[in-house]
Amino acid sequence: MKEQKSRPADRRRLLYRSPGVSHFIGGLLVALSIWICGLSVSIGAETANPGSISLSGSDHWAFQPLRASKVPPVHNKAWPQNEVDSYLLAGMEEADLSPVADADPYTWLRRVHFDLTGLPPSVEAIESFVNQNTPEAREAVVDRLLASRAFGERWARHWLDLVGYADQIGTSNNVFAQHAWRYRDYVIDALNEDKPFDHFVREQIAGDLLEAESVEEQAAALTATGFLVLGDVEIVEADKAKLRVDIVDQQLNKVGKTFLAMTLECARCHAHKFDPISLRDYYAMAGFFHNTSSIYKTNRGVWSDVNLVELPETEEQKTQRELQTRTHERQLNDWRKERQEAQVRRAQLEDLLKGGTPSEAEQQKWTQERDERARRIGRLNQLIEHAEFFYPDVPKAHGVHDVDTPTDMRITIRGNPRALGDLVERGFLQVCQSGDTPDIPASQSGRRELADWVVSNPLTARVIVNRVWQKLFGEGLVRSVDYFGLPGDQPSHPELLDFLALQLREQDWSVKKLIRGLVLTRTYRLSSQGSERQEAIDPENRMLWRMHRTRLDAEALRDAMIYVSGMLKPSGGGPALPLEFVENVGGLNPADVNPPSFRFSKWRPEQQHERTIYLPVIRHTGQPGPAALRNVFDFPQPSQFTGQRTVTTVPTQALFLMNSLVVKQHAKALAERMLGEPGTMRGRLSYLYLVLLNRPITSEETKEAEWFLGKGESSDWEELCRAMLAANEFLMRL
Amino acid sequence: MKILNQMFGHGDGHGLRTNRRQFLQSAACGFGGLALNGMLGARAASVGSIGQSGLHLPARARRVIFVFLAGGPSQGDLFAPKEYITRKHGTAIDSPVGDDGQLRVGVAQFLPMAPIKPVRPRGQSGMMISDLLPHMAEVADDFCMLRAMVADNKAHFPAALQFHTGHIAEARPSMGSWMSYGLGTENADLPGFVTIHPPGDPRTYGAGFLPARHQGTPLRVPRNEKELAIENLTDPNATADTQRRRLDFLQRSNQRLLDHVGGDAQMEGIISSFELAFRMQTETPDLVDLSGESKSTLAMYGVDEGASDTNGRACLLARRLSESGVRCVQVTMDGWDHHGDILHALPNSCSKADKPIAGLIRDLKQRGLLDETLVLISGEFGRTYWSQDLSGTSPIEKHGREHQQESFCTLLAGGGVRGGCVYGETDDFGYKPVQGKVHLHDLHATMLHLMGIDHEKLTYPHHGRDFRLTDVFGQVIGRIIA
Repeated sequence: MKEQKSRPADRRRLLYRSPGVSHFIGGLLVALSIWICGLSVSIGAETANPGSISLSGSDHWAFQPLRASKVPPVHNKAWPQNEVDSYLLAGMEEADLSPVADADPYTWLRRVHFDLTGLPPSVEAIESFVNQNTPEAREAVVDRLLASRAFGERWARHWLDLVGYADQIGTSNNVFAQHAWRYRDYVIDALNEDKPFDHFVREQIAGDLLEAESVEEQAAALTATGFLVLGDVEIVEADKAKLRVDIVDQQLNKVGKTFLAMTLECARCHAHKFDPISLRDYYAMAGFFHNTSSIYKTNRGVWSDVNLVELPETEEQKTQRELQTRTHERQLNDWRKERQEAQVRRAQLEDLLKGGTPSEAEQQKWTQERDERARRIGRLNQLIEHAEFFYPDVPKAHGVHDVDTPTDMRITIRGNPRALGDLVERGFLQVCQSGDTPDIPASQSGRRELADWVVSNPLTARVIVNRVWQKLFGEGLVRSVDYFGLPGDQPSHPELLDFLALQLREQDWSVKKLIRGLVLTRTYRLSSQGSERQEAIDPENRMLWRMHRTRLDAEALRDAMIYVSGMLKPSGGGPALPLEFVENVGGLNPADVNPPSFRFSKWRPEQQHERTIYLPVIRHTGQPGPAALRNVFDFPQPSQFTGQRTVTTVPTQALFLMNSLVVKQHAKALAERMLGEPGTMRGRLSYLYLVLLNRPITSEETKEAEWFLGKGESSDWEELCRAMLAANEFLMRL
Repeated sequence: MKILNQMFGHGDGHGLRTNRRQFLQSAACGFGGLALNGMLGARAASVGSIGQSGLHLPARARRVIFVFLAGGPSQGDLFAPKEYITRKHGTAIDSPVGDDGQLRVGVAQFLPMAPIKPVRPRGQSGMMISDLLPHMAEVADDFCMLRAMVADNKAHFPAALQFHTGHIAEARPSMGSWMSYGLGTENADLPGFVTIHPPGDPRTYGAGFLPARHQGTPLRVPRNEKELAIENLTDPNATADTQRRRLDFLQRSNQRLLDHVGGDAQMEGIISSFELAFRMQTETPDLVDLSGESKSTLAMYGVDEGASDTNGRACLLARRLSESGVRCVQVTMDGWDHHGDILHALPNSCSKADKPIAGLIRDLKQRGLLDETLVLISGEFGRTYWSQDLSGTSPIEKHGREHQQESFCTLLAGGGVRGGCVYGETDDFGYKPVQGKVHLHDLHATMLHLMGIDHEKLTYPHHGRDFRLTDVFGQVIGRIIA
C-alpha cells in the first residue's frame, strides 16, 4: 500500500523531534496550562493592555504582508507562457532542471476536464479540440468548462471537505439535517457565479449581518452561515454549557483552518506551542462565536438542534409555494376524509360483528373488510402524519444569528465552562494585525468585523491560492495545505505564492480567473512523464518540472463511471435525503422522546445516476446506497477536516472494482452503449477507448482487445468493459 | 494468513522506483520498527518486537483482545449489586442525580430496581458476578473488575466513539490503530488491527490521521457459504478462470501505461493490489474457517449452540488472529441497550456472550497466552440502578434501565493485570464513584502502559500539533497491575 500525504512525513517528524518542541507530558501540561491561565489573569490585573504579550514566531513567512516581486528572468525565454511559468522555470533552472515535454492534446483535455468539472470529456469535445490544439482552442475549452454547471459541482465538493458537511445533525439517532442541501447548493452556485472569494468568506462568517441588495442575495447570505453549524455538532450532549463552549471552539477552529490554515484550538487551554497565538488571542476570537446563537435545546429529552433561519422568498417562489400548498392541502384533506370514512365504516363493521347474528359467510366478509379498513387507517395515519410534518413552509436553512445582548467571553480553564477565568475583549490574532483593526459594535457579535479582518489579512489569500493550486497541480506550493504554522511546510515558491495572492485581490477575488490563469499555463500542460536524471535531483517534483499524476477521488471515479456508461442524470440540486418517502422517516410524533429521524428504505431512482455531490452524506456509518463507493476510495469522514485527501491503495478497492454489483452494472450499460453504436468491432473498440480513456486506441491494443472479445457477444463486451473500468488509465488523471 | 496482511498493506514494499518519502512509507509497512523509530526517536532504531530495548517500559502484554458489549450492559444486574437499591426495590427515592436540569427520560420516579437475577461472590476473590453469566463466573479469578469507570457522554455514538478513540466527536485514531502504529504488527503477514463484526461507525476502527495501514480490518464470520468475510470478496457469477482472463487483460494495459510513463509507485501499488485481491478470494475463506479446531475447543466457545454460536465463532477467530500476532483484535457483541423489559432481554444477551467470553479466557489460559494477552470487556457505558419506564404506565417488571456514563463496570483479564482484583467503588445508588475512579483516558493510559508504552510519548503530528490517544489526560492505574 502506498499513502500519499500532503507533506513529507519524514521531514515533519524531524521537526517535531527536535529539542524545544518535544512532546507534551500530560501531567505537566495540565500544570502548565493552569499556570498559563493563571499567569494571564495576573497580567490582566497588572498591565494596562493585557492583550499585548510579545510573541515569538511573528516573523514567520506566513504572517508577513503580501509582497510583490519582479518576475524573475529565465534562460529559456521561449518556454514560459505567462508570469507563473516564469517563476516556475526560474526555480527549475536554478536547480539544474528543465521542464519535460508538453502533454499530448488528448491528455491535456482529459486533465483539464477532470480538474475543472470532475468528468471526462465527451467524444465530440475530444474530436473538436484535437483537430485544433491551438492556444485559442485551449482557451475556448477552459471557458466552456468554467461556464458549465459541472464546474461548481466539482469544486463545491472541495469546499465541503473543509466544512464537515453532512445531511445529518450529530451522530446519534439519524437526526436529519433537512435543509443542509441548501448550503451545498449555495456553494455550487457561488462557485458557478464566480462570487468574489472575499464575499464568499464574508457570507459564511457573517451572512446574517450583511446588507443584501436582493431577496436572492439575502437568502444566499443567510444560507451561507450554515458553514458555522453544519459540522459535527453533538446535539445529544446533556451538558449544555459544555456543548456551547464546544461549538464555539469548533466554529473558531473552522475559521482558523479553512481560511487561515492555522490551528487555534491549542490556545484554548494554553498558549500555542509552536505558533504565536496566545490564550488571549483564542478568547478574543472565540468571543465572536460566544455571541452567536447556533443551537437551541429542544423539547425532546436531552436533545438540542441546530438553529433554523427563515429565508426570504421571491414573489415567484412564494407563488409556487402557494401552489404547492394547495395541492398538498388537497391531498391531505382527501386522506383525512378517507380516514374518517374508513373509521366510520370500521365502527359499523364492529357493531355488525358484535351485535346480531351474522351468518358465517357474513362474518367472514365483515371481518375481512374490517381488517382491510384497519390496515388502511394505519397507512393513512402514517401518510397524514408525514404530510403534516412536511407541510409546505417558508424555506429554511441551518444558520446562525447574534445573541440579544453580546458580551465578551471569559477564559474557560482547560475548556471547562464552569472554571472561568478572565474576561477577554473581542479582537483578532495579534500576529496578523497590520494597521487599524475594525471596531466591534456593542450591539453585535462582531462576526462581520471578524469577516473583514479574515479577508484583509495575508494568510487568507495565500491559503486559498494554495488550495486551488493543489487541486490543479496535485500538490500545494505549500504542501501542508491546511497548516501554515511554524512547523508546517515552507512554500516551494514564496514569490509565486504572493504573486498569485496579490493577483487574486486585484482581480476582485475571482476564483474562476485564478483557475483560468493556472490551467492555461505551460506548466499545467506538461506531461507527467518522469526523467531519471531530474528525479535524482528533485524526487518530490517540488519544482514542478513535470505534472503530478493523481488518482481520481471517490466522486470523480463514480461520476466518470456513470458518465461513460451513458447514464448520468443532470440535477439542479435540492434535498439529498429522500424524506418525501414515508418509509424513510420516523419519530415525527412531537410527543416522541427522540427527534425525527431518517433511514434509507427507499431511494429516488434518479439518485443512482446523479452526480455524487447530490447524494446524502452520513456521519454515523459508512456512506449509504449509491454512495457506497465513497467508503472504499478515501472519502473523508464528515468530521474530518481535509483540504487534501489521503490517497490509499488497498485491495478492498480492487475487490470493489472487480466484484461489486455497481461496477458490473456500469460495465453492462457501457457494453450496451458500445453495441448500440453502428459499425465493426474495430470501430466500436476505438470508440470505447475514446469514451473511456479519451484517446485513440493503438494497434497493439486493438489486436489484444479483438482477441479478448472473441466472437464479440454482449457478455464479451461486458467483460472487456469491466476490465477497462478498473484500468489504471481510467482510474488516474495523468 | 499472509494474504490478509498484504491486502491491507502490511506486506513488504513493491520493489519500485520510489522517492524517499514513498520508500519510508513502504518500508514501514512490513514491520513496526520504523513507526517505533519515528515515535521514540533514536533509541528505538531497530526495534522489531516487544521485549527489546526501545519500548518506554517493560511490556506486560503483547496483544489486546477487546470484547465490546455495545449498548451499555447493566452493571447493577451483572457485577455490582447495591444493598440500598435492592432494599428499596420498587419504592421511589429522592433523585441522587441532583438538580442538574437534565431531563432523564422515563426515570422521573427514581424507582430502584434490584438485580433481576442473583449476583453472587465467585472464586477465591469473591468477585460478584450474576447467575446470568455462569461460565464467566467460573473464571472470575482471572478477571480484574473496574467498578468506577467513567465516560463523558450519555449517548451511544459519542460514547462508543470515545471508548474507541478517546474523543466524543471528530475522527481521531482508534486505540487499535494507535497500538498498531506504536508497536507495528508482531506477524509481518497479518494486519496490526482486526475488528470482527465492527460497530457501525467506521471511526471506531478508523486510523484517523495515522497512516491508513493502521486502520482496523473489518471481518465478518460468515454464517453460510453465501456470506462473505469481507465486502465484495467474490463475485458469485464469475469463475476464477473468467476473472483471471479479465485481470490479465487489465494488467497488460496497466503495465503498458506504467512503461509509458516511466514508473509510478502508485500505479504499481494498484497493480499489485489487484493480484492480492485476486488471491484473497480463495485464501480468506481459509482464514475464517474454524473447522480445524477441536470439538472441545468449539464447545468451550459455545460454537454451534444456538445463542452463543455467532459470538463464539467471533471469539475463537479472535484467538486465532491474536495467537498469530495481530496486535489488537476487537469483537463487538451487540444488544446491551436495555431500556425496557430488561428482565427478559438481559438474560438473552448474556446467553449470547457468556460462553464465548469465558471460552476465550479459558482457551488463552490453556495455551499459555493469557499472560501476554490483555483482554478488555466493556460497554461504552453502563446503566442506571433505578428503572426506566418509557411508557410511563407499565409495572416495574417491564421496566428497563437508562444509560449511565457517570459510573459503570469494565472487566480486564490477563496481560499483566491482577486477577481477582476488584477496583473502585460507587455510592449507595451506584451512581457516583467514591473511590478508585477510572476515566476512559485512564483505562487507555493503563492499557498502553501494560503494552510497554508511555501514553504521553505515543504521539503523531497532525495539523500542527502532536496528538495522542489520551489527549492531554490519562493516568496509569498502578493498583490493578500485577
